[in-house]
Amino acid sequence: MAKISIRNLTKRYGDMTALNNVSLEIDNGEFLVLLGPSGCGKTTLLRCLAGLETPDNGEIIIGDEVIFSSKEKIMLPPGKRNLGMVFQSYALWPHMTVRDNVKFGLDVIKTPKEASDRQLDEVLAKLGMGDLSERYPSELSGGQQQRVALARLLATKPPVFLMDEPLSNLDARLRMDMRVELKRFQSDAGATTVYVTHDQTEAMTMSTRVVVMKNGEIQQVSPPAELYKQPQNTFVADFIGMPRINLIEMQGDGQIFSNGDITIDFGWKPGIKNVVLGARPEDLKISSNPKAHGETYRVMAILPNGPETIVQLQRGKTVIIGRIGHDIIFEKNQEVKVTYTQTSLNVYDADTQNLISPINNI
Amino acid sequence: MRDPVSIVMLILLAVLAYLVIWPFFQLVINTFTWSEGSRRISREAVPGQFTWFYWLQVTAGPISGKMLYGPLINTLITGIISTILALIAGGSLAWCIVRSDMPGKRWLQPILTLPYILPSFAVALAWETVFRSPKVGGQPGLYEAILGIAPPEWLSYGVVPISITLAIHYFPFAYLLVAGALATIDSQMEESALISGAGKLTILRRITFPVVAPAFVAAIILTFGKTIGQFALPFLLGAPTQFHTVATMIYANLALGLDSMAYVLAVILIAMSLLSIWLSNRFIKKKSGRFETISGKGFRSREIALGNWRWFIFSVVSLFGFVVGILPIILLGVQSVMLIDGFYGLENLTSHFWIGKSNLNIAGGEPGVIYNKIILGATWNTLKLAFLSAVFASVIGIIIAYIAVRRANNPLAVLLDQIAFIPFLFPTIAFGAMYLTLFAVPVGPIPALYGTFTLLVLISVVSRLPYSVKTGITAVTQIGQELEEAAEVAGASWGRRFRKIIMPLASSGIMSGMMVSFVGVMRELSLIILLITPATRVLMTAGFGYAEEGLTQLTNALVLIVALLTISGELILWKIGKGRMARLREKQS
Repeated sequence: MAKISIRNLTKRYGDMTALNNVSLEIDNGEFLVLLGPSGCGKTTLLRCLAGLETPDNGEIIIGDEVIFSSKEKIMLPPGKRNLGMVFQSYALWPHMTVRDNVKFGLDVIKTPKEASDRQLDEVLAKLGMGDLSERYPSELSGGQQQRVALARLLATKPPVFLMDEPLSNLDARLRMDMRVELKRFQSDAGATTVYVTHDQTEAMTMSTRVVVMKNGEIQQVSPPAELYKQPQNTFVADFIGMPRINLIEMQGDGQIFSNGDITIDFGWKPGIKNVVLGARPEDLKISSNPKAHGETYRVMAILPNGPETIVQLQRGKTVIIGRIGHDIIFEKNQEVKVTYTQTSLNVYDADTQNLISPINNI
Repeated sequence: MRDPVSIVMLILLAVLAYLVIWPFFQLVINTFTWSEGSRRISREAVPGQFTWFYWLQVTAGPISGKMLYGPLINTLITGIISTILALIAGGSLAWCIVRSDMPGKRWLQPILTLPYILPSFAVALAWETVFRSPKVGGQPGLYEAILGIAPPEWLSYGVVPISITLAIHYFPFAYLLVAGALATIDSQMEESALISGAGKLTILRRITFPVVAPAFVAAIILTFGKTIGQFALPFLLGAPTQFHTVATMIYANLALGLDSMAYVLAVILIAMSLLSIWLSNRFIKKKSGRFETISGKGFRSREIALGNWRWFIFSVVSLFGFVVGILPIILLGVQSVMLIDGFYGLENLTSHFWIGKSNLNIAGGEPGVIYNKIILGATWNTLKLAFLSAVFASVIGIIIAYIAVRRANNPLAVLLDQIAFIPFLFPTIAFGAMYLTLFAVPVGPIPALYGTFTLLVLISVVSRLPYSVKTGITAVTQIGQELEEAAEVAGASWGRRFRKIIMPLASSGIMSGMMVSFVGVMRELSLIILLITPATRVLMTAGFGYAEEGLTQLTNALVLIVALLTISGELILWKIGKGRMARLREKQS
């Protein structure tokens, strides 16, 4: 069993704070994704877990064992933490064959030859690398190298997997296939997994929970669906979702708010005057029927994208993005009617940029 | 701290501080302290007490002209003339090879670097073979044998031959520096000037030269810094007519037992070297400029057509390459098979100096190379010294490089890297003088190493460190940190990671570094000449000894052996370099 507790972790590099008082509980068998823009501290957090960086403050507990504690001066070296890691570059040793690469970890923990051979054959076969075991990494394709890195991780059966953007070096199609496979190996092994990525699709599709980070601080920890539906602040709202969410600053009193161009009835009272409205492109109901309900917008740009079409609409000085089905055809400069799906809108406090939940404010 | 890297780092810091920094202070302290032997020079001498005596004697005493100022002027004159010659030759050759469409570059290039690969002694010997003059004793040279008249003395000894032979030995050094800078020029700069209507000479003058000017200036200063430290060459071509440079004066003073005077001169020589390197660093400005590097960026480099001059320039360069690179080796060979030095005729040829047994009528009974116990012992010593020094220097070099790269944010690691570079700043003969002062007497647990083979290995290893750390850094930088972290996560200890990951991946770099050190130590003379005793003789010092005794044939034979050994070493290096580097690049891509 490997539950991971991270408590008040802080890591500084000179004047720069890479992790600022980060606390996080990770359940046994969970697939937790650390997501954020580059420089947000996600890789630093992973490397602190691995023991490749020494935090300045806080503690980390894996299972029942304190592996790092600044107070008690505990800093277990990486090899003693009972975890496996896949690196962004895969870090395959170029002077060793596939088999030797995988075997290295087993040798270090002094696995008897017979058991070691059996485990090696097993893991290589499982990843479909049995025939390639005598090759050198340079003689493998990107996808195959990725599998060797994975085999190296699986061979010693660690209860914790750490992955640092393991799919970022693959092309788009291969990445999709590997996602499915990675997920399968992880759930077969039942290992607690911490996975770093800056690709939100990867985060959404693979994780049980996503941690969004910014400037060394955790912004939100949620299951992927909730993360998309209810971003806790405007940063997360803006970071998650493609195309981007519409964030509109509005003023009002009671439950009707406006920015001068557009006016929306929230259906509940946020209790403050200045808010930021968060509306996903699909929360807009767009109709070409001039008699339809709603305000009139003008179509500025039409961007077809396979199953859906993205449209850019303008009313006064306000420009917003909408999403429509691929079968609906608009023309440039056409006038359309727009209403908003009241229940999916998120309202943020313009001062704090944090979500104001309707439930708390009724 | 249980971190093994920190422990290794601290040990290395302590050891290098003792072997690099302390000897320098010891040398300086010695120049300010009355020595035991000085009682015969001055009645005021109180051994062990502080004194200005030596500095005053050298800089202001009645002998200061002969001791310091004369040699200093000679050093500056020969240094400046040879630097100018070397830069003219090296610069124009670099342009021909890198930028023009001159034919035959592939085999001209290695020939042009030969003079630098050979011991500097070799060129001097070859010069002597041709221009020796009976006026200063000995037999006539080739010049007199062919022309029938003795060469003027200024052509045999002194400023002219020393400057020219120094230039011949060092022009490849200037060539490599300038070629490195030229190779980084983007042809598009020149092409846009061409489109603007500029002629070839205008482009060279207004575009090409200004761009390489900083490298050129740095090359001037570095070459000068190297020439002033040369000992063997000016000694051979200057000492017979009492022409001294600072470097040869150090040797002469030590031979006379005026140790402290020699140490003062060594400190002055080090100061000159430091000044020139400091100046060159100011010109290069970049930190990395202490060694030339060429970036591998994708740019276009177009060769400039020489047109009708193509074959003429080729002939001139080829002739030059033959005269400076191949002729000296031939002369060494010819000289070593002459029964009586200076008589050029077929009946005078002999294989005695190679395979003859002792014959009291020839060379005072000194047997030929293969029966000569001194030479055989020296050969064995040379190989042993070169091998041991190369191995130690490479292994220590890679460890220091590892610490410097992986702990770059630790000030102690940076300090270690810098200390390992310091021997580069010491003229080799001055470095030898330092070790002479340091290891003459036992200090604490360290025995008096003077006269031991260990001392030779020690100084050779330390003097090679700047180079082996440099190759080590290149090798370690190429190994991604993640490769090592992956092993760390798997639980491998530092020792295991170093053996299983770093060493195998750095092996090709280490191997070529080892070979460079092997060759470098083999041809070294001025570094160890002060520390050699009969039991620890190596080929170069034995050759130098025969030259002092006037047994030129044996000197030539020995230097020829060293020359051939170094050339084969370079060839092996070139081969493994090509093969292994290609394979490693393939593997890591």
